[in-house]
Amino acid sequence: MKYMDKSIKEIHEVLKNGEVTVKELIEESLEKSKEVQEKCNAFVTILDGAKEVPVTDELLSGIPYGIKDNYSTKGILSTGSSNTLKDYVPFFTATAIENLESHGAVATNKTVLDEFGMGGTGTTGHTGIVKNPWDTTRMCAGSSAGSAAAVAAGVYPYATGSDTGDSIRKPAAYCGIVGYKPTYGMISRYGLFPFASSLDHCGVLARSVEDASIVVDAMKGIDKNDMTSWDSKDIHLYDSLTGDVKGKKVCTIKEISNPSMYPNASSELKEHLENFQKALEHFKELGVEVEEVSVDSKLLNALASVYVVISCAEATSNMSNLTGIVFGPRANADNYIDMMKKYRTEGFSPLIKRRFVIGSYVLQAENKERYFHNAQRVRRLLVDRWKEIFKSFDAVILPVGSGPAKHLDNSEDILDENTGVLEEHLQIGNFGGFPSITIPDGFVSGLPVGLNITGNCYDDVNVLNLAYALESTMPYKNQVAKEEK
Amino acid sequence: MDNYQVLIGLEMHCEISETKTKVFSSAKNGYSDTPNSYIRPLDMAFPGTLPVVNKEAVALALKASMILHCSQPEYLYFERKNYYYPDLPKGYQITQETKPAPVGSFGYLDFDCKGEAKRVRINNIHLEEDAASSDHYPTFSTIDYNRAGVPLLELVTEPDMHSAEEAVAFLETMRSIYQYAGISEADSRKGQIRCDVNVSIMEKDKDPSDPKNWGTKVEMKNVNSFGGVRDAINYEIDRQIALKEDGTYDEMEQQTRRWDEDTFSTIYMRSKADAIDYKYFVEPNIPKFKISESWLESIRASIPELASERKEKYMKEYNLSEYDSTILVKEKAISDFYEEVISLGGEPKGAANWLTSVILGYLNKEELEMKDLYLTPKMLVDLMNMVRDGKISSKQSKQVLSKVLEDKKEPSVIVEELGMKQIGDDKTIRDIVVKVLDEHPDLIEDHRKGKNTFDFFVGQVMKATRGQANPSLTADIIREEIDKR
Amino acid sequence: MERKFTKEMVDDYADKLLIGLTEEENKMVLEEFDIIDAQIDIINSIPNISEVTPMTHCLDDFVYELREDEDDEEGSVPIDDLLSNCDDYVGDEIRVPKVVG
Repeated sequence: MKYMDKSIKEIHEVLKNGEVTVKELIEESLEKSKEVQEKCNAFVTILDGAKEVPVTDELLSGIPYGIKDNYSTKGILSTGSSNTLKDYVPFFTATAIENLESHGAVATNKTVLDEFGMGGTGTTGHTGIVKNPWDTTRMCAGSSAGSAAAVAAGVYPYATGSDTGDSIRKPAAYCGIVGYKPTYGMISRYGLFPFASSLDHCGVLARSVEDASIVVDAMKGIDKNDMTSWDSKDIHLYDSLTGDVKGKKVCTIKEISNPSMYPNASSELKEHLENFQKALEHFKELGVEVEEVSVDSKLLNALASVYVVISCAEATSNMSNLTGIVFGPRANADNYIDMMKKYRTEGFSPLIKRRFVIGSYVLQAENKERYFHNAQRVRRLLVDRWKEIFKSFDAVILPVGSGPAKHLDNSEDILDENTGVLEEHLQIGNFGGFPSITIPDGFVSGLPVGLNITGNCYDDVNVLNLAYALESTMPYKNQVAKEEK
Repeated sequence: MDNYQVLIGLEMHCEISETKTKVFSSAKNGYSDTPNSYIRPLDMAFPGTLPVVNKEAVALALKASMILHCSQPEYLYFERKNYYYPDLPKGYQITQETKPAPVGSFGYLDFDCKGEAKRVRINNIHLEEDAASSDHYPTFSTIDYNRAGVPLLELVTEPDMHSAEEAVAFLETMRSIYQYAGISEADSRKGQIRCDVNVSIMEKDKDPSDPKNWGTKVEMKNVNSFGGVRDAINYEIDRQIALKEDGTYDEMEQQTRRWDEDTFSTIYMRSKADAIDYKYFVEPNIPKFKISESWLESIRASIPELASERKEKYMKEYNLSEYDSTILVKEKAISDFYEEVISLGGEPKGAANWLTSVILGYLNKEELEMKDLYLTPKMLVDLMNMVRDGKISSKQSKQVLSKVLEDKKEPSVIVEELGMKQIGDDKTIRDIVVKVLDEHPDLIEDHRKGKNTFDFFVGQVMKATRGQANPSLTADIIREEIDKR
Repeated sequence: MERKFTKEMVDDYADKLLIGLTEEENKMVLEEFDIIDAQIDIINSIPNISEVTPMTHCLDDFVYELREDEDDEEGSVPIDDLLSNCDDYVGDEIRVPKVVG
């Protein structure tokens, strides 16, 4: 009997009634980890020494899970999937992980990401590319690639992720699972290796809205070590899932999801948009009002560069502590400048180095106004527009990406001039700190695709409830990657 | 020199020593001989750590801002100043720039320079963090992070000073303010004060209020004592005048130089063209913080009497000379001692004499500080009261004080030990007087004839009482007894 | 048209970040610069853009308390932990090549 492909509640039941022990679950998860490692290369570290914990009334107690390797874990290698930290073993644990542990969660591995979360392909980690468990010739997207692959492959019911642009929600879609990042600051970022602090969110990849809610209930909470965290003790996500969404109002964005915007759409994109339309019909059947609104395409077309400018600028500063002096493999050189430079040149992947140069450029005194400040201005305009939408609607609902997972052989993560807004719109959720969840909504070319629901800040319960209700109308809840391909 | 006027601006860095913890971490703020013993994870920039702002550090910074008549911002912001140096673990310093506004903008300071009233405009004062400290050995350097994150106030003046004396007087006034306001010990020997000094010269007959007339600015970095500031300015004035005189001044570029204590000269570091671009941007991990009116009010109410106010009080209310008043307020510890003596009922003029003539001399001679003094204000008042009440003579009291300081015993104990009780009892003295007069009837006659034999009688009484007779009482009784005969 | 971005510029920026770029990496940065620059042109064409206040934080209307100035009950991190990932130290201090100036 296998359990790791079950829901958290189901596993909790069998643990409670003694059908299975924590030890057996850990063994199953570790065994499955090795299998998935072989197939998808999803892990930096497999925690063979994972210790049993007592089963309590906590739903997560005794249940294995995965930790994205950009979370600091005491006594456990934490690399950020970067050669700069390839031997870094922290002496403290990230608050979100401590919170999970205090609920009895048992980590069985640490998952691969795009180096420090800077990338959307799952191919730039220092341990190599992560493959999609549905089709190993395809990517998982990133940056939470290992977490998405492992949850989709049934290694455990959930894994932590982090999301700066779409790093939880895009891979979730490509792997046919649920990806949820709550409102900024609901989960403490203390101990999360930073990418871009004003955009970074902690969150979870799981196989159902219910599981995602249970996990974030355990991860969240105000933290004295993170000034941007806030007190959410009166918010109970899992307990608030009623499935009753009658009378709620959601909207799509014409410029992003209306098929008429894509006269030359590929067959995959057409199918993807049709899937999405079907999901909207399901919503209507549940009594949800669905409307379409229009957003100035000038703002939408600026989205990608706003993201690149802000995220690269913050990243280049955030990663200035990586010099090899206090931690990381020390480079040998006669003087301290060469020592730091050698460490950084050898340690960072080409992608990150390029992003750093861009980030540095846009912050230079003579460029700052034109690039950085203007990007921050458009960020505000976009966020203001979305907040205005939230005055009339409970959530915005949009398709994720332009189709299923892309092939690995054209995974180059460079800025593409033709990148559609469809691929980038999830970043708005990071600009505004909005609660945002991706759920699977069907298949295109035999591969899973997803849709996203995003609501106003602090309105996580509403967003989750909508997702929960919609999920129940479709047959993709708790799905695990099938391995025909 | 006569053909030129000098413009001097200062950047004064002063560590805030009067908080318990560092400015962005809860590690202890203090000096330790044990390296790396006041460290929380942020202070060595371990990945995933976040700054958490110390309320008291902000309150003290705002207090300084108010004392300097600056305006306080509506919101508190911090910015990152990005550069690489081994003593800067994060690769950036969290500081404040002028936009958004720092804790203080556009104020002024009135001070006294050799009896002349001066005013220097303050451009801004901001709160930031100190860097780690390094030790240098022949082949390597070591880093101790105890100082990393210690709160630091940086004060930037307009170029309103015109001589080295004025600059030093300004700095001394600021040091006094920091001490009096309970912000910092402001001890340059402990490295708590560091200055950057700007010097330029211009023709005497031109208007210095018009920046167009200013000469080329030369900045001297890291001058770490007031003496150094004086010497560096004087050196730089001479150097620049020499350039004017030999016609090469116009070739001098705006530059940064270093004051070298060993060669007693300034040394070229870099030109303005090579200035580092610090790529400032707002620290996203510290949310903007609304500074409430009520908080500002309570900070304002906590500003104590400063040196200038005490000095005025000493002159006006206690009738002290300007000279003595200046000495008393120069060090806060001395002034505090004096205030305490007065509050315990000590007579102001007498107490001032004790301090300026005896106690400060003792401290100087022994190279001690006020805090090392065994004598307390209470002891001094006791001693003064013994003289007032005629228990001991004023001559004896000086002897007692030096014994108090030497033996570290209470004045009353010393008086006891030395058998020094003054005889103030009428009958005892009268008996002795009668006896002395009886023995010298001839001298009484001489006295009546106008010869001065009075002092002889006093001397005899003193001799008989080993100097313990109250002198004025003795004189009165002698007069009475002579008149009786 | 004169190139706004040059290879030398890119190398200079990289150098200031203490990283070295290969020829190929440099070329990719140049291409990306061109794309970003074109998109920034779009931003600059938004009417009255300069009047918008830059959004510097994720939650703009955040209300919170500053930290009370109290010693951390956890105390200083033990020296062994602090140095456990450091490849070069002497005694309790971290060692680096000689820092001059």
